[in-house]
Amino acid sequence: MTDASDDDVRAEVRQWLADNFDPTRDRGEWSRKVFDAGWSAPSWEPEWGGRGLSTAQSRIVAAEFGDVGAYGTGADRADMLACTVRDLGTEEQKLRLIPPSVRGETRWCLLYSEPGAGSDLAGLRTRADRDGDDWIVNGQKVWTSFAKTADYGLLVARTNWDVPKHRGISFFIFPMRQPGVEIRPIHQITGESEFNEVFITDARVPHANLVGEPGGGWAVLQLALAYERRLMGDLARTAKSTRDLKPDADSLIGMARAAGVLGNAHIRQEIARAESLATVNRWNTQRAKTTTDPTEAATLMALGKIAMSRILHETARIQTEVVGPESMLTGSDNPVGDAVTFRTLNAYFTSIGGGTDQIQRNIVGERILGLPKEPEPHRETAFRDLPH
Amino acid sequence: MTPISAVLTEQQSDLRDAVANLMAKRSPEAAVRRLMSDESGYDTAVWSELAAMGLLGLTIPEEFGGAGADATELAVVAEQMGRALLCAPYLSTAVLTPYLLLALGDPAESAETLPRIAVGELLATVAFAEGGSARPPEHPTTSATVDGDGWLLTGEKTYVLDASIADRFYVQADCTSGVAIFAVERTAPGLSITPLTTVDPTRKQGRLTLADTPGRLIGTIGVGGPALEHALDRAAVALIAEQAGGAMHAMQMATDYARVRHQFGRAIGSFQAVKHMCVDMLLEAQSALSAARHVAAAFDACEPDRLADLALAQGYCSDAFVFVAATGIQVHGGIGFTWEHPAHLYLRRARTDAQVFGDSNWHRERYVRLREENS
Repeated sequence: MTDASDDDVRAEVRQWLADNFDPTRDRGEWSRKVFDAGWSAPSWEPEWGGRGLSTAQSRIVAAEFGDVGAYGTGADRADMLACTVRDLGTEEQKLRLIPPSVRGETRWCLLYSEPGAGSDLAGLRTRADRDGDDWIVNGQKVWTSFAKTADYGLLVARTNWDVPKHRGISFFIFPMRQPGVEIRPIHQITGESEFNEVFITDARVPHANLVGEPGGGWAVLQLALAYERRLMGDLARTAKSTRDLKPDADSLIGMARAAGVLGNAHIRQEIARAESLATVNRWNTQRAKTTTDPTEAATLMALGKIAMSRILHETARIQTEVVGPESMLTGSDNPVGDAVTFRTLNAYFTSIGGGTDQIQRNIVGERILGLPKEPEPHRETAFRDLPH
Repeated sequence: MTPISAVLTEQQSDLRDAVANLMAKRSPEAAVRRLMSDESGYDTAVWSELAAMGLLGLTIPEEFGGAGADATELAVVAEQMGRALLCAPYLSTAVLTPYLLLALGDPAESAETLPRIAVGELLATVAFAEGGSARPPEHPTTSATVDGDGWLLTGEKTYVLDASIADRFYVQADCTSGVAIFAVERTAPGLSITPLTTVDPTRKQGRLTLADTPGRLIGTIGVGGPALEHALDRAAVALIAEQAGGAMHAMQMATDYARVRHQFGRAIGSFQAVKHMCVDMLLEAQSALSAARHVAAAFDACEPDRLADLALAQGYCSDAFVFVAATGIQVHGGIGFTWEHPAHLYLRRARTDAQVFGDSNWHRERYVRLREENS
């Protein structure tokens, strides 16, 4: 790690962008230039497109890139493939997989969840069987974003059925563009399609793309998930206006006024209730950011997702009361009703996705409050003998 | 707008630790229970210790013998007192009364009264509610009429904190040309004081009946209304910190119990039904704490939105403390239903705190009104 100050870094990247950034430049050429200058993954070593800065300085670089509309930085925080391989891959894997991924020449997606393995991800049943220098993969994955444009999938598959569930899983960098990989979009309750199902039938992944040991995939996955959570946290902190995810403080009063119900005492109470949920959550985040006590910060951050679920569901519920009968209607002729229904349904994105509220409560209860886990009667049972 | 910091300085952390130590020594459950059944409801020796530590003069400016502390320091102290359910006339005498006198702008009264409060030799409280609401009435039926050089007050005031022990009452009354605050001595003729039977035995209240009772006008006529509102807002910063502290303690008590109480061969906290209740308590208690800390910092920074923030926080902290205390009883199960277990004491305090400066619906309505005015 270099000892450049934050101000030095800011000044240097700003100058470099002023000298080099040209929005009309060819994408590939630009990405190579960013990589060679060490801005692709600023907190990493030069060979992986970095320059040994701190994580905080990497965010400074990202902010400077963002200010001029430049792209190509932040792989050290956003590139799950490169992050995982850099930590746990072999030298050969690092050299082969990291540079093209960091330069954006190859793209990746996540092949974790399955129809039968959601909250209990370790119960996954996609199988990989060794065949010479390859593994043959069969199974079905779900909730995969960007499956159609991905070159690789970060895949967890079962390679041993005779050991307890966590110990028989392996982690692969799986080539997506091959026969036997079929991608179908999922139609969400909101009418959108952000995710896909991926059907895998006798597809192949080279043994050289196994990350970690056979049967050691659960630990690799935990690392990859930790990077993902860090990225989600970054995105949540910097999000400007992802569609309707942040209830605007004024929107309820404005909406009620427009609907002519701002004088209704019940509605006024509900508005204040919803706004207090959003506001105290903001105060929690502020406190988490400013406290010097790491336990206090961890506690507050861990509660954020549960709090956000409630904010989104409650806000949508109260907006429904405000809008009244138009909430029966949808489409562009009924923009207010349409938006309210969208928010009502999209709130489940947060209360189910990335760990349901209930799983989240288990995690907070166990890790923050120190409450004991549920007994696991099948802890030592071979996966193939589990009841299902 | 730069986010204001709700982080404690080293000095504030020291203050918190000192008060926490005092509470651990002087306000353990046994002391609380002793004072619950004591008519006076407080311990004079502890009161002297609070004075010696400078806590009674915390909100009082230095020129009147106090520490001139800011809202954040008051919140730090109130949070610890709330955790321990301290039985003492702190909110009435050391918080509400000084804020009221300062807002009334009567230097003579402040000079006579505040130094005596700071050293612990005078107990004072404020009498404003007249029933129906715990908030001050806009048009009080308690009247003040001129009598020579002074005034005579007639009427009834209720929900008066620590009425049975106060040496002096600051009474809100209508004197035809406006609302004003009058000082009434405990020994004044025509004043009768009736203790109220309170749900929360750790916080005593009383009713005053005034019949041609002499009172001294404090400040000027017309200032009384806004000064009282202002004092209640400043004192509410302490009240919500107390609620947050109480909620944190009630949450801690229940989760500690869920960790050790075994049924069906396992700690009850391992059952998701119980675990999820504990996490919900944690969310409410921590959110209340963040709200209390934020509002105190907002007052110290004179944030333009501080009253809307306070209104929102009062509604939230009131409900949060009641929820946490109530859920805590449920987590405890049978033992939580017994008088001997302290869980119910927190629910009693929570239900009182959720009314004493106005109920949460009132605060939420105020919040929306303030937001409407600013939009």
